[in-house]
Amino acid sequence: MTNHPTTPGAREHTFDAIVIGSGISGGWAAKELCEAGLRTLVLERGRDVKHRDDYPTALKNPWDFPHRNKTPRAVATANPIAKKCYAFDEATAHFFVKDDEHPYVQDRPFDWIRGYQVGGKSLIWARQTQRWSRFDFEGPARDGFGEWPITYDELAPWYSHVERFAGISGNYDGLETLPDGEFLPAWEMNDVEKHAQGKIMAAFSGRHVIQGRCAHLTAPQPQHLAQNRGQCQARNLCYRGCPFGAYFSSNSSTLPAAAATGRLTLRPHSVVESILHDPVTGRASGVRVIDAVTKQATEFFARVIFANASCLNTNLLLLNSTSARFPAGLGNDHGLLGRYVAFHNYRGSLSASVEGFEDSYYSGRRPTQLMMPNFRNVRKQETDFQRGYMVFFGASRAGWQQGNYAPGVGAAFKDRITRPGPWGIYMMMQGETVPRKENHVRLSADRKDAWGIPQLVTSIGYDDNDEKLMRDFLARGQEMLEAVGAKKITARDSKQNPGLDIHEMGGARMGHDSKTSLLNRWNQLHACTNVFVTDGACMTSTGTQNPSLTFMALTARAAQHAVAELKKGNL
Amino acid sequence: MNRREALRQTALAAGAAALWASLPARTWAALAVPADWSVADEALLTLIGDTIIPATATSPGAGSVAIGRFIITQATDCYPPQSVDTLRRALREIAGASRQRFNQLFSSLAVADREQVLTAYEAAPQQGAYPFRLIKELTLLGYFTSEPGATQALRYDPIPGAFHGSVKLAPADRSWAL
Repeated sequence: MTNHPTTPGAREHTFDAIVIGSGISGGWAAKELCEAGLRTLVLERGRDVKHRDDYPTALKNPWDFPHRNKTPRAVATANPIAKKCYAFDEATAHFFVKDDEHPYVQDRPFDWIRGYQVGGKSLIWARQTQRWSRFDFEGPARDGFGEWPITYDELAPWYSHVERFAGISGNYDGLETLPDGEFLPAWEMNDVEKHAQGKIMAAFSGRHVIQGRCAHLTAPQPQHLAQNRGQCQARNLCYRGCPFGAYFSSNSSTLPAAAATGRLTLRPHSVVESILHDPVTGRASGVRVIDAVTKQATEFFARVIFANASCLNTNLLLLNSTSARFPAGLGNDHGLLGRYVAFHNYRGSLSASVEGFEDSYYSGRRPTQLMMPNFRNVRKQETDFQRGYMVFFGASRAGWQQGNYAPGVGAAFKDRITRPGPWGIYMMMQGETVPRKENHVRLSADRKDAWGIPQLVTSIGYDDNDEKLMRDFLARGQEMLEAVGAKKITARDSKQNPGLDIHEMGGARMGHDSKTSLLNRWNQLHACTNVFVTDGACMTSTGTQNPSLTFMALTARAAQHAVAELKKGNL
Repeated sequence: MNRREALRQTALAAGAAALWASLPARTWAALAVPADWSVADEALLTLIGDTIIPATATSPGAGSVAIGRFIITQATDCYPPQSVDTLRRALREIAGASRQRFNQLFSSLAVADREQVLTAYEAAPQQGAYPFRLIKELTLLGYFTSEPGATQALRYDPIPGAFHGSVKLAPADRSWAL
């Protein structure tokens, strides 16, 4: 094996840039690099998924599914982790990895939800997109557990850049805790939600109830129509892939844009085993790829490499990229690679019933919900726990499922349960977790996967701060539902494992100081500057927002920097 | 883009059109007869399901969608293994209750008498609550996700086109199927 592009066939295997992974951040890297003129190779470990053509269930009716969209026991037994995901069912199972094909080792319980295909999890994400605020970037330094090397103001234009292209719906709410973006029209609230909004905001100052912001084309603009994407039809069957291209995915949006430049090479079934380090130049020279099907190894070379394999897989890849210079993994001079992994705390939720509003209903299926930006510890430390949480909530009327627990049989029973039932309201939390050094991933010393790559060991858990934060949410949620006038309020701790939030972040965190972080302010490895990490692995902290929009903005910003540095001859 | 235009574009999209064309007419009703279940047992389950959700003026009953086949298939494939035993127990107990109360087979009873047997069985504390809830749950799932159930007993709109947050509910309006 050589680390230099001198092997036979090296010419065909040499590109300007390599992007590892085709999910939400990899798609953005591909688009920005191709549009800047770089011949770009995108390596995807899974199969190809073509927009529209490969969404086999998108237009199916409930009666087209043999098990009516429930998961058969045999499938559930074979996929004990994936089956826990709310989006995994008979209509979507083909977009999730099969657990038995991709084993990993759980030092402590961690549900690792993965989508190995072109588009990655951008096909099956929840599509909720909010900007971080300055409080989120400044928080770690204020609270003494980390330091972001960038500010909100530096990222703001890149948020705008990705929002315009992806298409984000929302209201201009004017909140410092959740900055406004480039919005398409927001979704509507129903009557009970408007009632709840009024009651909560009257009773609690500083708690803002706003409509959710999501990556759906509520009113497509010319730049969206140019992508052949159409208006959201309010089907809310998004996890099957959208035949209208109405929600943002790599498949519908960034990858076609990259391909349109003529400079994209997309290579599915390409498992990247390691990034190759050239001791002469001190830079990465390329990557070693194992063909997912034939298991043949091959190498590709480029001047710039973007790691977008998804948070934990990027950690795995860097840890497995060992060399004489980096015996503990690429860029890992201090043993911090794989550490400070954090996630979102989703454990708490509440539900209740709301009386009245009997002649009020709604039509269509809204792909988002209401939210309340974090109101805890925003400007200063106020509670006995660190950081805070976003609240999601919504109200709806019971459908035919109300009959499951209602007594009765016959025509009157049928008539009763086919009419809209009582209103229910729910709340759930999305809590920030503080990255801890002990929360880490590492390579297994003895177990390998089917491609000869060491399995990942996850050692990630909750701590006392997470418990306190959840208890606070449940207490605040209770008082807010009481203010709404809701009845039969039930609070729940799901005790779900970390990972099921599918918001794992960190392990190769950004920072000014190369002694305490892996990546610089442009997402370059401090110790190997032509390698950029712009997926969840780069995150210094988690905020309380859904993270994908921030990954997109960071990726576009880093890609622009990579191109500028190439032009200057610095890479 | 309005809904009609959206539908037209969908139909025109090569992939989407191919999707429609390739949809197999696969429903559980077309699946093989479940092993270890007699025709009589399946028929009894269908009749119980049709008693829970009978035909009414505007929509057919659960019996019209072969609900017995669905209940058996779904319980066998998707529920914990003991659920199949629970179903069998419910059939025995409902048959027994029918003989005890009316000295007749459940299948020979008039609708009102079948309803009486099931209502009493559902209300019986230890004995019937869980087995009957299982049958009821599977009946409702199978019926309301079937084409007649979703489109006639409920309102089915696969492509709503928009979300309206405040819609006046008229007395005759049914729930949305999705």
